[in-house]
Amino acid sequence: MQILNSGIRKTDKMENNLNPNFACETNDSGNSYCEVQVEGLNFYYGSKQALFDVNIEVKEKGVAALIGPSGCGKSTFLRVLNRMNDLIPGTRLEGRINVHGEDIYDPSTDVVELRKKVGMVFQQPNPFPKSIYENVAYGPRIHGLKNREKLDQIVEESLKGGALWDEVKDRLHDPALALSGGQQQRLCIARALAVQPRILLMDEPTSAIDPIATQRIEDLVRELCQEYTIIIVTHNMQQAARISDFTGFFLQGEMVEWGETSQIFTKPQDQRTEDYITGRFG
Amino acid sequence: MHSRTELIMKILFWASGIAIILFLVGILFTLLSNSIPALGEIGIGSFFTSGLWRPGAYGEPTYSINNFILGTFMVTVGALAFAVPMGVAAAAYLAEIASPWEREFFKPIVEVLAGIPSVVLGFIGLVVLAPLIARFFNIPSGINALNGAILVGIMALPTIITLAEDAITAVPKEYRHASLALGGTQWQTIWKVTVPAAFSGITAAAMLGMGRAIGETMTVLMVTGNMIARPESFLDSVRTLSANIAIEIGDVAFGSVHFHALFVVGLVLFIITFIVNLLADILIHRKPEVNK
Amino acid sequence: MNQKRWLTLLGLVVMVSIMLVAGCGSEVATDEAPDAEADNGGIEEDVAAETSSIMIAGSDSEVNLVTRLAEEYMNANPNVSIAVTGGGSGVGISSLIDGDVDIANSSRPMKDEEIDALKANQGEDVYAVRFAVDGVAVVINENNPVSELTVDQIGAIYRGEITNWSAVGGEDLEITLYGRQSTSGTYVFFMEKVVQADYSPEMRNLAGTSDIVEAVTGDVGGIGYAAIGYATKDGIKAINVKADDNASAYDPTVLENVTSGNYALTRPLYQYVSGKPSSAILEFFLFEVSEEGQNIVLDEGFYPITAADLDFNKDALE
Repeated sequence: MQILNSGIRKTDKMENNLNPNFACETNDSGNSYCEVQVEGLNFYYGSKQALFDVNIEVKEKGVAALIGPSGCGKSTFLRVLNRMNDLIPGTRLEGRINVHGEDIYDPSTDVVELRKKVGMVFQQPNPFPKSIYENVAYGPRIHGLKNREKLDQIVEESLKGGALWDEVKDRLHDPALALSGGQQQRLCIARALAVQPRILLMDEPTSAIDPIATQRIEDLVRELCQEYTIIIVTHNMQQAARISDFTGFFLQGEMVEWGETSQIFTKPQDQRTEDYITGRFG
Repeated sequence: MHSRTELIMKILFWASGIAIILFLVGILFTLLSNSIPALGEIGIGSFFTSGLWRPGAYGEPTYSINNFILGTFMVTVGALAFAVPMGVAAAAYLAEIASPWEREFFKPIVEVLAGIPSVVLGFIGLVVLAPLIARFFNIPSGINALNGAILVGIMALPTIITLAEDAITAVPKEYRHASLALGGTQWQTIWKVTVPAAFSGITAAAMLGMGRAIGETMTVLMVTGNMIARPESFLDSVRTLSANIAIEIGDVAFGSVHFHALFVVGLVLFIITFIVNLLADILIHRKPEVNK
Repeated sequence: MNQKRWLTLLGLVVMVSIMLVAGCGSEVATDEAPDAEADNGGIEEDVAAETSSIMIAGSDSEVNLVTRLAEEYMNANPNVSIAVTGGGSGVGISSLIDGDVDIANSSRPMKDEEIDALKANQGEDVYAVRFAVDGVAVVINENNPVSELTVDQIGAIYRGEITNWSAVGGEDLEITLYGRQSTSGTYVFFMEKVVQADYSPEMRNLAGTSDIVEAVTGDVGGIGYAAIGYATKDGIKAINVKADDNASAYDPTVLENVTSGNYALTRPLYQYVSGKPSSAILEFFLFEVSEEGQNIVLDEGFYPITAADLDFNKDALE
């Protein structure tokens, strides 16, 4: 991996594809409080380049949506943020990725800690073949929590946070796989919340779920974004329009435009963005 | 023409299936019909009363097989006690941790291990393992249940490793991803998610290993001492059901009570194996499958 | 697609054929006597090339000796082929009764029931030849200080009545009993001659003489019995046996002790045939009891037959 080596910089002017009205503030001690700050990201699968010079800054709390046709790098980008791409052999990147002020590709980064801070929910709900309780308790357990009462408490809070508590509170020890698709996905959200992340990455979380359950999850996302920073990849433009504050449009590995959702959908600045939104392709 | 070929193929395959059923029924029938004379003359109870197996006794012949059931049990359980953990660990290593180069190196070795004839292992047990056991435990003789259990465990290992590895590899990678995304280490992921998720496959592996162990005759015959008395510990000599049949069938008079009594032993062995397979089936179907 | 099916069909047929052939072929112990049931277990003679073959099975105590005798005989008589296997005296006798072998090696005499069974099966009488003499050695570990025992003491040990070496003048050490299995002629001989009751249930039943030797070599407290040809190995020693308290103790490795009958556990080694032996089998017997054959017997660690044995053999060999 090649990583640009630079100190934390004050940024008050964005590159050409970022909304000029939006800036991450820097406080006196020199820390930027953008939750996520990506500069000059180029990503390669072996010799094939998948992401081209992506620059993005995501503010704390709120929902940022990434849209674009399939195969254009959105999921890859998401996985850069919690280093899940490390699992794929032959990948490398250039650029600088800061999460909560820290360079997450620095050699001294503790990946385990990173993934505690940056949670992920996948496209296909993937609860473990264990009980509902065990699924949610898994995270805190592997990070060392053994106290039964504390675990009970965290499980309850997380399930409430995932809007699932009322439905399962009487059957916590039933198998998770017996739940419906929508419930399983909310369980996965609860499971991710149990390790108390700051950021929640969601990779097309509702594309495998029926519309009614999708609605519930969208409501949940709007609730959660008051406390967490949520970055959601979605295939569904209407969903992005419904639930996000900021939207980024990806096309063939390039982030074409990034800005407030209302602006992207009503007054896109790039022709390609307008074409995609109006359905001319994708 | 086409349809005729189809018909011939159909008949052939159907016949093979029927043949297999016939083999099983035939074996069961042979066992039963040859056991009945002994059951009639000796009575089924006397096979299970405490005592010894002495059909050729100086005095009254006795036919108790309790000690042999215990012997089979000890060797089987002993073998699994060391082969299952070791096999699952090796399988997890092969499936999750080993590099492709290491896997290429390891798998042929496992296969060779599987191919070692039981009589060769028995010989090694007698000449190499027995003195080692004797020295390690400071006992006079290493010809005992422990020796048999170790060798049978070695024989069951390749089966267990191969099946467990298949089961672990078959676990959907989504589970691994979920665990890692929560901040789990590779180690935690393997032991808390992947291996437990492969439980039904691993159980099947263990059960197959167990089936192998219960019926193992040659090796056990050579290294367990074949004593007819009740064993007092794993360091004591034992005789298994299978060994008993092998030992005595050579010179038993055809058609005598002793002859039929040996069939009863065979029937008991058959029933035990059947029950084990049945349990394995139940266990495998009890765990909820992944609903993808 | 059609071709693939034909290939699969062909493969299946080939596999099944192989299994059938193998299954039928392995049934019979001897390949040279296909109609064993109907035969007198006789010799097959190929008139054109004048070759004969003899199938021998049975006693584990005798197998090495008979194999050596057979090899020497075949060297001198290339038109005869002799195959020798073990399995135990009991197995040899069963095979003879079933007509699967020509000669049964047995280190014990055949029982009446067995003789009757052979007559019933094949309509022939049994003929016996004594071709060597054995002193069954009682072997113990070479580090065991005990050097002599009475037959009674040995019996008590094998009945499980004496369990510690200290009771017979040795160290305070538990006795581990090693013996053969019921297919063994030596097992039967020892039981009738020495134990005279059931063996102790604690006795380890090992498959062959070499297993007993291995076991006792590795076990300081072990005791076993073995044909004398096997007893003179490193790691074990044969004890001197006294017929009773007043008798002298005799060492089985000394020829006169055994041939004179002074050694208490002396026994003749037998070979049995179905029907009076003739042609190739008779020739082989005559070789075994000749001077040359008896020298080989000595060389293998056993003892030559006595005058009484020669007398016994008259029935079969003349």
